[in-house]
Amino acid sequence: MSNDPVDVLIIGAGASGAAFAWSIIDTRMRILCLEQGPRIADKEFPSRRDDYELARYAEFSCDPNVRRLKQDYPINSSDSCIAPVNWNGVGGSTINFLGHWVRMKPSDFKARSLDGVADDWPVDYPTLEPFYELNDRNTGVSGLGGNPAYPPYCPELPPIPIGKLGQTLANGFNKLGWHWWPSDVAILSQDHDGRQKCVNAGTCDLGCAAGAKGGTNFTYWPMLENARVELRTECRVREILVDQSTGFATGVLYHGPDGQVHEQKAELVVLACNGIGTPRLLLNSTSRLFPDGLANRSGKVGKFLMFHPLTGVAGVFDEPMRGHEGPMACAILSQEFYETDPSNDFVRGYGLHSGRSTTPMTYALGGYGIDDPIPWGEAHREVMDGQYPYLAGLTVVTEDLPEERNCVTLDTGLTDSDGIPAPKVAYRISENTRKMLKHGEERSKEALLAAGAKTILAKNGDSVWRRAGWHQMGTCRMGKDPETSVVDGWGRSHDVKNLFIVDGSIFVTSGAVNPTSTIQALALYIGECIKSNIGNLFD
Amino acid sequence: MVTGEKRQLLDLILDELVPPSADGRIPGAGEAGVAEFLPSSESYVPKPLDAVNSVLSSVSAKSADFSALDRTERVSVLKAVEADKPESFETLVRLTYMGYYSQPGIRPLFGVGAHPVHPEGYAVERESDELLAELTKSVRSRGSNYRA
Ligand SMILES: Cc1cc2nc3c(=O)[nH]c(=O)nc-3n(C[C@H](O)[C@H](O)[C@H](O)COP(=O)(O)OP(=O)(O)OC[C@H]3O[C@@H](n4cnc5c(N)ncnc54)[C@H](O)[C@@H]3O)c2cc1C
Ligand code: SF4
Repeated sequence: MSNDPVDVLIIGAGASGAAFAWSIIDTRMRILCLEQGPRIADKEFPSRRDDYELARYAEFSCDPNVRRLKQDYPINSSDSCIAPVNWNGVGGSTINFLGHWVRMKPSDFKARSLDGVADDWPVDYPTLEPFYELNDRNTGVSGLGGNPAYPPYCPELPPIPIGKLGQTLANGFNKLGWHWWPSDVAILSQDHDGRQKCVNAGTCDLGCAAGAKGGTNFTYWPMLENARVELRTECRVREILVDQSTGFATGVLYHGPDGQVHEQKAELVVLACNGIGTPRLLLNSTSRLFPDGLANRSGKVGKFLMFHPLTGVAGVFDEPMRGHEGPMACAILSQEFYETDPSNDFVRGYGLHSGRSTTPMTYALGGYGIDDPIPWGEAHREVMDGQYPYLAGLTVVTEDLPEERNCVTLDTGLTDSDGIPAPKVAYRISENTRKMLKHGEERSKEALLAAGAKTILAKNGDSVWRRAGWHQMGTCRMGKDPETSVVDGWGRSHDVKNLFIVDGSIFVTSGAVNPTSTIQALALYIGECIKSNIGNLFD
Repeated sequence: MVTGEKRQLLDLILDELVPPSADGRIPGAGEAGVAEFLPSSESYVPKPLDAVNSVLSSVSAKSADFSALDRTERVSVLKAVEADKPESFETLVRLTYMGYYSQPGIRPLFGVGAHPVHPEGYAVERESDELLAELTKSVRSRGSNYRA
């Protein structure tokens, strides 16, 4: 392992880091990626074990505070109603993500001009459209063309089965005359590109031992390693270094697998550590020039944290729904209530996602992301025998508007295994979100009843799923104004000209869809911008 | 390990937490041997046996002979223990669900395969193009529903 200077140093080997690296492999620049976690082989995925469900509550939990593996960093979320979750290792959170692959819509990039809230993005849907296409091709996307909720596009592979559960719910939406569509998924519905198709195992959060799910461990990384992009695993960056006279980033200090701190020099530093990890690293990189954290002259690093607050409603049907068969989060998606409707008491909107139901243990323990066990005793029998097999549910996934008070700071009293201060999250949901969740709950009940549900199971409360901070956005927002944003329209720090951010931190708004398709499209777009501006990159 | 009389008591408690089905088709958690799982469950909670022992001693304190009680009385005792020792009791409930549903033989009783889900997975037929066209017909006919 040599620490010779490189042209481009990418921090983080997840969704965005891998896509970005791919976008510049044709430049012949020397590219190095430092990743704090290890590679994980398919054979290590717990879905091959008899007691596979147990892994969700230990080493394969989506919550780093539960996993507590060496490569994980703790996250203090005591002041947040939603706990951020992730995976740290090659593939990043695409190791345990669920492959629901939804694009943002044209109106998502224009919340200020259309609805008078938040801000417009400096990029728009037509600009990103070719990068969505390119990324879909690299990832392997299944779905049904002709979705009237989007400008025209067609996924390359046919949809995965929506199953009995999806068909039943689709009939309910049809009765009400509401939009729904088979979900687009980063999951192969047929063998493709040397990869195996999905076997409908239903445990996509436990890694995909079939290789059908479009995690970057299966998509971008094999291409990158073939192209000799250097990937150094178990290397945790503790600080980005800056030349105090020029204000340019010069490289990083990182903890290597040998336990030593190393310096790695680079011409260009690219952050791809996800919406919590990226502000954490910037806030940990202080110097005379940047006493409040690197690239933070605006004071906005860590601010405007957005998740997608969500809640669920389930219906109990007459026949078994076989909800454990098929990709866990993806069957059909209704975007009937996605766009702003002036007759509502809230702005923006939400999606109604029909995932599948989960496996018995996870259901008994309260459901994925919920953790509130079902009753013991005779009531347990009634739930498991009379409800569990017959369930189909809808998840209300709301747009989270950016609010400065929702933020990531540092907890200096809590550190990772290398002694680096951990992030602390302060987050609460807004009144607008609350109203959306309520509205969504009511519409879900109507849809489930129309689909034939005999009983509705809803919380009727105000709370959101806790362990559901799957999507972390907005903490280093893009914008034209250096006073109010951290990076410009192509991911470059306003303050440090050779520092780029390519993960969901740079989102201006969150949309109400799973973000990874947009995160990667944006990373490819940033790569393209860098290539086209290579001559005057540092002006 | 929990052995001897304590084990008998534990099995009775487990059989109330997840009771057998009335037709005997589905075993209770005691009969399913969940007690064997508890000592080895430190990966899921620290010191699981502390919670188990705390519930056992609380049950013993509240009823001299739990086994002599009928099921309604046993449930009343357990509810009192739950109120007294909420954390230990909840830990035992969670671990019971884990130990019970992680058994491959239990899953098929709820319609789920006994096999590890990979590599075999489940055979699910993809809907035909015709069926999908029929199902989505009314959605298509309403035209676009996004703002440009
Ligand atoms: C359980 C779960 C389900 C999800 N389901 C979906 C879904 O269905 N659809 C969807 O669109 N999205 C989903 N997501 C979200 C999706 O996984 C993320 O949006 C996406 O992976 C983010 O990409 P990223 O590159 O920003 O971060 P990641 O993919 O998380 O990668 C960041 C990488 O940076 C590394 N890193 C961080 N700090 C450092 C450091 N200091 N030094 C070195 N390396 C570092 C981490 O180890 C990690 O590997 C899900 C996420 C989870 C956890
Ligand atoms: S359901 Fe399909 S995508 Fe999900 S883990 Fe199994 S094979 Fe992979």
